[in-house]
Amino acid sequence: MSGGDYLWDGSGEPDADVQRLETVLRSLRHARPAPALPAPERRRALRPGGWWSLAAAAALVVAVATVWMRTPDRREGWTLSWLEGTSWSDARVVREGRLGVGEWIETGAGRARLAVGDIGEVELEPSTRIALVDVGRKAHRLSLARGVMHAMIWAPPGQFVVDTPSAIAVDLGCRYTLEVKDDGSGVLRVEAGWVGFEHAGVRSLVPAGAVGDTRPGKGPGTPHFEDASPAFSDALDVIDFGGSADARRVALDTLVAEARARDAISLWHLLSRVDGDERASIHDRLAALVPPPASVSREGILRGDRAMLDAWWDALGLGSSESWRKWTASW
Amino acid sequence: MDAEYSPTMDEAAGLASAPAPSLEATLVIAARQGDRTAFGRLYERFAPMVHGLLLARVPRSDVDDLVQEVFLQAMKRLDSLRNPEALGPWLAAIARNRARDHYRSTEPVVQLTDDVAGAIHPEGGALGVLAAIRRLPEAYRETLVLRLVEGMTGPEIAERTGLTPGSVRVNLHRGMQMLREALGGSMRT
Repeated sequence: MSGGDYLWDGSGEPDADVQRLETVLRSLRHARPAPALPAPERRRALRPGGWWSLAAAAALVVAVATVWMRTPDRREGWTLSWLEGTSWSDARVVREGRLGVGEWIETGAGRARLAVGDIGEVELEPSTRIALVDVGRKAHRLSLARGVMHAMIWAPPGQFVVDTPSAIAVDLGCRYTLEVKDDGSGVLRVEAGWVGFEHAGVRSLVPAGAVGDTRPGKGPGTPHFEDASPAFSDALDVIDFGGSADARRVALDTLVAEARARDAISLWHLLSRVDGDERASIHDRLAALVPPPASVSREGILRGDRAMLDAWWDALGLGSSESWRKWTASW
Repeated sequence: MDAEYSPTMDEAAGLASAPAPSLEATLVIAARQGDRTAFGRLYERFAPMVHGLLLARVPRSDVDDLVQEVFLQAMKRLDSLRNPEALGPWLAAIARNRARDHYRSTEPVVQLTDDVAGAIHPEGGALGVLAAIRRLPEAYRETLVLRLVEGMTGPEIAERTGLTPGSVRVNLHRGMQMLREALGGSMRT
């Protein structure tokens, strides 16, 4: 048996036993991307002469505190309440009645409701685990580690963001349900408005009535309407999240055959996710369902011309691409 | 407006002993000043170690959540890290403590009872091998998980956990020997 250097640093003659164990155990390796964490609190060192400054600051604090205590404090977090008669002891809660920045809550058997500042509400299903990441002026942000949350947001687009292990969801003015499973994959169902779903530059725009799946390491899949045919949805799953070359070919044929005019949004997303012959097939089917404007050429789409993609989007009847380009630019 | 960050005397002494701070220390200092990107880079660098240390101790289904908790806790307490060069050992200590707290705060978990001898090849065999590793003494358990699961080399394990290279080497070889004995003939099938 030759362990030696290979076990220590991977050099030398490979040890067959070690290699076999590495292969078997690789599936347990750490794979989650970094969660969106609040900025670390800054440390302030007291400099020479700082005591006078400190005294002056203390006086100021006393004066300001009087006003501050009468004002709702965004930094305190969100108001938390339990639904359906669940008692506080039924869940692990870090602070009763309020979820602060950086704090986690895990619902037990019951459901909970969070008031998202003054911009909306979130309801949590049982066995759901979330953290409040930020309540900044630009956006409210939470992290959904697992479970199911329902959000209703009435703020302008872009002010409510949810991090999940495999993608972030950005509210674009809507009501939606977001689920994160134990393996980190997720499902987004939009009931009103739009939600943006993004990971590592891969973006999906999910409208009301549509679903977006996401997988760790792969990000959001292609959005599709819930009333699309099961064959269409299954084929998208193969294209988005992997399959053999043969399976992809079959899936592509299925997509082309099953696509309805209403599925144009799915085909449009696919145009920038596949290439070569696959992109050409998708282009041809989409062109048959929703003819592109005169400014859009087949060659331009095949080379991934963004302006042409935007122009074709505008022809889908789903609103102007300008507005969501604006909101997604800051993700 | 926030005051500019200044290192404490302890930190200054620690930094003075080295001609220039390492990349790791530089990232720690930047993270302390609120730089999320720096903290993200520290996460990428150290998350596999934290994950491995937890995986050696707590049920797999809880590990990912606990990794996040360890980093959240670390971020909140980053100011209490006296030597920015010692982030790895400090994170390792937080992870080990968090694993202990986890067992205090949760119901006893039914341990895996996989038939280890036949566990390598069937689906889910990884959990069987992990169960065998978890039965080893703690020092061997940690180093083997970091090496075989997380793919870290011995020198990387030593650097990030703060253990001496000699200790890591011994733990790896003795642990591997015990694991071979525990898995017996299934290593060859």
